[in-house]
Amino acid sequence: MDGTIHINQAVKAEPKQKTAKIEYAIQPYVYASVFSSLCIIVGLIWDISWHTSIGRDGLLAPPHDVIYLGAIFAGSFSAYQILRTTFFGSPMEKQSSVRFWGVFYGPLGAMFCVWGAIAMLTSAPFDDWWHNTYGLDVVILSPPHTLLALGMMMIQFGAMIAVLSSLHAAKSDNGVMHKWLFAIASGLLLTSFYTLFSEYLNKSRSHSALCYQVGAILFPLFLIAVVRASKMRWAATATTGVYMFMLCMMLWILPLFHATPRLGPVLNHFDHYQPFHFPLLLVIPALAIDIIFFKLENKKPFVKVLLASLLFLYLFFVVQWFFGGFLQTSPDARNWFFGSSSWYFGANPDWEYRYSFHPDRTDTGLDLITGMLIASVIAVATGFAGYIWGGWMQKVKR
Amino acid sequence: MGWMDAKSKKMRYIKIIFFAGLMLISASLFAHVGSPGVIYQGKAGPYSIVVNINPPDVIPGTTSISVYIDNQQVNHVYLQPVYWYAGDKGSPKSDEALPVNGTPGQYQGIVWLMQSGVASMRITVDGPLGKGSAIIPVMAVSTAQRTMPASLDWGLGALGILLAVLMITIIGASVTDGIAAPGPGSKPSARKKYIAMAVTALILFGILFGGSAWWNSWSSNYRKFLYKAPLAHTRILMGANGMVLQLNIDSAWLRKNNESMSYIVPDHGKLMHLFLVKEKTDDVFAHMHPTRKDSVNYQVALPDIPAGRYLVFGDIVQWNGFTETISDTLTIPAKPAVQNVPGTNNSLYHDPDDTYVVSNAINDNKNPFTGKTTLVCGKPGIEMKLADGSSATWQHTANTSFEANKIYPLTFAIRDPLGQPAKLQPYMGMMGHAVILKHDGSVYVHLHPVGTYSMASQEIIQNRINGNGKAPLLPNPKLFIDSIDRLISSIRAMSEDERNAYLTAGMKGMAMPAMDGMVTFPYAFPSPGNYRIWIQMKRDGKILNSAFDAVVE
Repeated sequence: MDGTIHINQAVKAEPKQKTAKIEYAIQPYVYASVFSSLCIIVGLIWDISWHTSIGRDGLLAPPHDVIYLGAIFAGSFSAYQILRTTFFGSPMEKQSSVRFWGVFYGPLGAMFCVWGAIAMLTSAPFDDWWHNTYGLDVVILSPPHTLLALGMMMIQFGAMIAVLSSLHAAKSDNGVMHKWLFAIASGLLLTSFYTLFSEYLNKSRSHSALCYQVGAILFPLFLIAVVRASKMRWAATATTGVYMFMLCMMLWILPLFHATPRLGPVLNHFDHYQPFHFPLLLVIPALAIDIIFFKLENKKPFVKVLLASLLFLYLFFVVQWFFGGFLQTSPDARNWFFGSSSWYFGANPDWEYRYSFHPDRTDTGLDLITGMLIASVIAVATGFAGYIWGGWMQKVKR
Repeated sequence: MGWMDAKSKKMRYIKIIFFAGLMLISASLFAHVGSPGVIYQGKAGPYSIVVNINPPDVIPGTTSISVYIDNQQVNHVYLQPVYWYAGDKGSPKSDEALPVNGTPGQYQGIVWLMQSGVASMRITVDGPLGKGSAIIPVMAVSTAQRTMPASLDWGLGALGILLAVLMITIIGASVTDGIAAPGPGSKPSARKKYIAMAVTALILFGILFGGSAWWNSWSSNYRKFLYKAPLAHTRILMGANGMVLQLNIDSAWLRKNNESMSYIVPDHGKLMHLFLVKEKTDDVFAHMHPTRKDSVNYQVALPDIPAGRYLVFGDIVQWNGFTETISDTLTIPAKPAVQNVPGTNNSLYHDPDDTYVVSNAINDNKNPFTGKTTLVCGKPGIEMKLADGSSATWQHTANTSFEANKIYPLTFAIRDPLGQPAKLQPYMGMMGHAVILKHDGSVYVHLHPVGTYSMASQEIIQNRINGNGKAPLLPNPKLFIDSIDRLISSIRAMSEDERNAYLTAGMKGMAMPAMDGMVTFPYAFPSPGNYRIWIQMKRDGKILNSAFDAVVE
């Protein structure tokens, strides 16, 4: 421990050393923000499952409690970090923080988390008024829900930034924990992105070009940013692995619990939770991004981004076209493992397209080719945006 | 009785057509005016119950339900919504209503109503006599337009400004301080920071502008689906045989709101119950049953009532059980030189259940009119004389007011001219009909001894529950109108006894009070104010009208 300065505790300097080696321990707010991100995802997917299976909820329904726990956890730890640095921080701590409003000092990640927590808590009375004025929940996207979703994702992004600034400050490569925390934080935010856009990405859409266009907007952008920002060799694979793990866990655990519809009309009867979706098989195309960024490390960014984006998109397309087809149509997918028989209580279980592709949601021939060409352009564009975003994340130091 | 059998078959056939093929038409129909509560008095199996349902004014929303069990200990009371569209099998698990502390026999619960349209509540009572249930129709429609309370408005505004300022700060810091190396030496570019903050402010302004537009479109969409009664225009036609009231439902309005008037079904044997009340004075009241000329035009011969401006209320029931009140105002001119001649070939004059009464104005204790159809309004606890020499007494302590939102059994004791309890006869299948109107016209309700719900609606829902569970189909409108018109004509052609037998048979299973000269209407006045109540019964084959005034605090 000689020559070590613990920034989160008392600052110690060894006068005998010419240059002090600085080692930053991971601050509690960093763990708290990642844990909050986990709470948010668990609560969010549980809440979707709750609405699919039970329907009736209230402000303090159990899934909401888990989500709000995330907000409170991230908000309070981050606010504490800011206030502690502001009022009790050493000069070095302050110099390692962002100064804002002339008074406060705090890490950037904590600022994002505080913003997210305030947004989430603001959405609660707003949503309550909204329900009294326009009716109880019948849609996912309403203005107060959008504010809530923005708050949730801002906390999750704050968790990524918190881990990154901690990682970059740590200087040494002791960061196995840092790297995994970043992969977990990234995977959790990726799960949020998927959930928000799942209407276009779910199995029933896997034979439409729109699915891959939406995927092209989200995934190259996010995964290339993560790969560039992370110091992990298999960052994209690990991130998508976390995403798949989270969704699989929720898919396999929730149906173990009893649930019956508490709202009518009930067209589909059951006695256990109807789970959320089986995840997209993103690890396979994500592996391609990692390989390209590793094998072509010294190539120009243009080449890496172009190849990574396109290869990701085409692999995503091939894998998901067939796997989505299996999930949507095969009787072998209608079991606890794949969860394809999950069905909303208010939807007709005998609907003819429950286990087949609706013609309006299926593209073939020229439509598919044109759609995929559009998706290719999108993927390259968002891939470059992700590269720039990742470059910024690479530089976050406070 | 051969023709009765033939008629029964025909009616059964017609009933099968519109009961077996029911489907959801639209989501915006609602009965009564300013009195949304539904009150039921009747049986749930072996148990006598009174139920008060307060439907939400925004759908989806929650309904609070009070159940009062009469003189009977029970174990459990369950509440369950039954949606007309989904039928019995589509009902969610029931909720238990819990006993109210300090009020023996009262149970309270909440039920969620998620879909606009025809719903109903199944009240199940479980006790020593076994289980019994009742179905009560509820019209689920959005009627409320709320604004944000000032405190919440300011609070959310302040938080919104905080969020905007914090986000601008964060983005400014993200491109400068946040990426600067820790330590005293770093001096991030202020210019870069301000540019980033300005761009963020612009983007946030765009987001807030877009969000505001989104909110406005949401609000406008909500208003679009708020319940609106069909627009109708009433006018007086001066015919060769006298004045005829014509009620025209606006076709352009119907098209715009995607509604149809082709699927109206009879309630108490009538397609429309039309009430006229003289505006501001409430001294003239008429209850009529117009004839349908086509799907949007109804006509009825105007009785011999004084000239003036009238409030018009027309109650109708759609074939899926939606009930609603069409309202308008009408100016009736002075009597023309040519008078109506009852008994002519004009089919408008043939409804035997039309009636009217003239009483004193609300601000006057005397009735200046003369004739058999006039009277002076009664008050609670004081006996009043009726046109045929009998009397009516409102069984409520004299000179006392009523409390708003509290259920009262509005009980009226009728005595014949000899002072004995009058032997009452069914009037359109019921022991009594009542209309309650608040003096300012803001509350209007047409109710019966069983409560404030439509019995036709209840029958339709019960048939849906008893059916095969399949979603019904909408029949051809012309065929439907023809079949209903034939049914109405056949009911009109019946003798009084036949008609009563037919209408009473259609209400089998519903509580019919004993004919002991007492009639009770369960009701909760929705708001404080002065009300006038018209009671209609039948004795010795004649319709007996009476009117009462009540003060509600």
